[in-house]
Amino acid sequence: MRTDQPPIEDYGLIGDTRTAALVASDGAIDWLCVPAFDGVPVFARLVGGPRAGTFHLGPAGPALVTNRRYRPESATLDTTWDCPGGTLVLTEAMVAEVGGQLLPTTLLVRRLTARGGPIEVAIDFDPRFGEHHDRPTVRHRSDVVFCRWRHLALSVQASGGLVIEPGRPVTAVVTPEQPLTVAVCFADREPLIHVPPAAAWHALERDERRWQQWCRDITDDLPHHRDAVVRSLLTLRLLTHSPTGAPVAAPTTSLPEQLGGVRNWDYRFAWPRDASIGVAAFLAVGKDNEARRFMAWLLNATRLDRPRLPVLFRLDGRRPRPEREIPGWPGYAHSAPVRVGNGAADQRQLDGYGWVLDAAWLLTRAGWPLHGETWRAMSGFADTIAANWHHTDAGIWEVRGDEAHHVHSKLMAWLALDRALRIARTRPTPARRVRRWSQQRDALAAEIRERGFDPALGSYTRSYGSTDLDAALLVLPLLEIEPPDSPRVHGTIEAVRRVLGAGGPLVYRYTPGNDGLPGTEGAFVACSFWLVQALARTGRRREAEELFDELVAWGGPLGLYAEEIDPVTRAALGNYPQALSHASLVQAALALRDAARAAAP
Amino acid sequence: MDWAGWGVFGLLATMVLTCVMIIAQMAGLTRLDLPLLLGTIVTPDPDRARAAGFFVHLAVGQVFALGYAATFALLGQATWWLGAILGLVHVMIALTVLVPMLAGVNPRMASYRSGPSSTAVLEPPGLLGLNYGIQTPLVAVVAHLIYGAALGVLLVPR
Repeated sequence: MRTDQPPIEDYGLIGDTRTAALVASDGAIDWLCVPAFDGVPVFARLVGGPRAGTFHLGPAGPALVTNRRYRPESATLDTTWDCPGGTLVLTEAMVAEVGGQLLPTTLLVRRLTARGGPIEVAIDFDPRFGEHHDRPTVRHRSDVVFCRWRHLALSVQASGGLVIEPGRPVTAVVTPEQPLTVAVCFADREPLIHVPPAAAWHALERDERRWQQWCRDITDDLPHHRDAVVRSLLTLRLLTHSPTGAPVAAPTTSLPEQLGGVRNWDYRFAWPRDASIGVAAFLAVGKDNEARRFMAWLLNATRLDRPRLPVLFRLDGRRPRPEREIPGWPGYAHSAPVRVGNGAADQRQLDGYGWVLDAAWLLTRAGWPLHGETWRAMSGFADTIAANWHHTDAGIWEVRGDEAHHVHSKLMAWLALDRALRIARTRPTPARRVRRWSQQRDALAAEIRERGFDPALGSYTRSYGSTDLDAALLVLPLLEIEPPDSPRVHGTIEAVRRVLGAGGPLVYRYTPGNDGLPGTEGAFVACSFWLVQALARTGRRREAEELFDELVAWGGPLGLYAEEIDPVTRAALGNYPQALSHASLVQAALALRDAARAAAP
Repeated sequence: MDWAGWGVFGLLATMVLTCVMIIAQMAGLTRLDLPLLLGTIVTPDPDRARAAGFFVHLAVGQVFALGYAATFALLGQATWWLGAILGLVHVMIALTVLVPMLAGVNPRMASYRSGPSSTAVLEPPGLLGLNYGIQTPLVAVVAHLIYGAALGVLLVPR
């Protein structure tokens, strides 16, 4: 029985590109929504308290975790315990490829293997439905147990005839000759397809080989921490909802940015910004299909709102429901409230346009010319920016009630116009439109240089007239609004390091607590990787490599990153694992690769 | 049966239906784009797909118009309200059976079971096409009521 919740970084991610589960090193799945990332929680002890459901499978007595790792280049997780009498290994994954086969849409497979002698194991299968932790209606057929709630059903079956009763912990003995395999099949608004444990295990093995092939297709020229980059790419793919192509920002809601704090948000949505960064990351490693799928998703999702670009979408492209708090949910480590929905959906953010048009330009440059409709959409976004860049916005950090002239947003608006002009050079575009974009881009650049730069600080600032800094400005060397070796770029990088440095390789996104909410927060992982990228792009490759090495060491034991890291305790903070953190890791590694190539004789 | 009426007015009614759907799409009411969904069965280029899909949709509309003409002939009457009732049945079949079935026919449309190896880029329509916007069923109902009513007025019950 647990006394404390495991640290966030203790959790491993297993997923099927439609949804994902978080499993702690004690063998407990404490988070799983079905059938999609934003579906109904079935195991939600992570933030919902002890009654919110869990699926524990592990040693019955005290045991030490001796090894925990993903199998090489796969999404299968191995956890090894040293137990009295031998070693116990838990191997688990969700089956991603179910098309063309009679397999359930969601299939979770877990296997316990004993080595060195028989080992007593404990199983606590306690699925609960939704916000009120409803218990299922249970039915048996031989040793298969069926659980049913309104539109959701699941079946659970263990090998060897062991019957697993929901909500009733049971113990069993696993011998080296006979592993214990458990298959859990889910069905939401469709007939349940039950798969016996042996067949489920075969499906897992087939899936593992597919993931290994997927990883082998990643370009070979990633000299720096290839394993970390591949794990990040695989995590990004696991966090991409295959039915729609939407990149989910994180599979969780309300993991806190400060333990016991109130900065707890729902990230089970898709941000166009993340899709655009994903385009760049996948394109650069030879995963063109993934990159193009993100652009296709952007095109589908934005169709109703064009030429306006909404801040975020539900995975099916619909608008998010209003943000609300779930009553009675205690939150992770008593970090309440637990929220569903995301209020940032109603904000105005200018920076998204820049990310999206930059992604479109990268695709064009890579030899994937935009279809007519895609270009019409991109032109519309550029028109919107040309007409609206002088307005205030909420900024990339989505601080509530903080509309201002954010310099980062202005820079990204400039990027939107600049990249639209670059694409326009590759295809017929009305001269008047090009002239307008060009004029607005130049006017915006002049305003940013005049109002966004503080000569006393020697740095660009968080917003016009402010002396606060913003680590998002670290993207400056990538935009080409200023030459990478300009004093303004160097000054900004140095000022951000000096003022927002959190120790070691870590960087806060802004001065902690400077967002109108009580408490503080951790260092921001994506910004820390942006610093690596900025240094690599400005000729400081050695420093960049050292910081990157350190950041890789600061990641969780499985190579997963949350949104933030506590610079003192090294604990992961915020939703986990976060797509933006992993995309930034990939981009930093690519910047190092490019810098190394440039330095090569 | 009114074969001449079916030949001419079937096409006309389908064009009107298509126009209503496109206007609704342009007005931001729905992301449902029937020519695109049908045309991507034959080509991945959205612009070409729309052109191809338009003609496929005309052909499909003509087949449905045959059902309308036959029903009017059997009942011995053709009125706007009878056509509208048939339009309601038609749209229910379209939204609950035909559009969701596209995921099994169109190789470029994903399904809820799509996995990492899927290269399909069109999102699945979901129940009643709701993935294409919450107002999609309403738009589809209006378009098909107009289609049915038009056929009810224009076809002769013989």
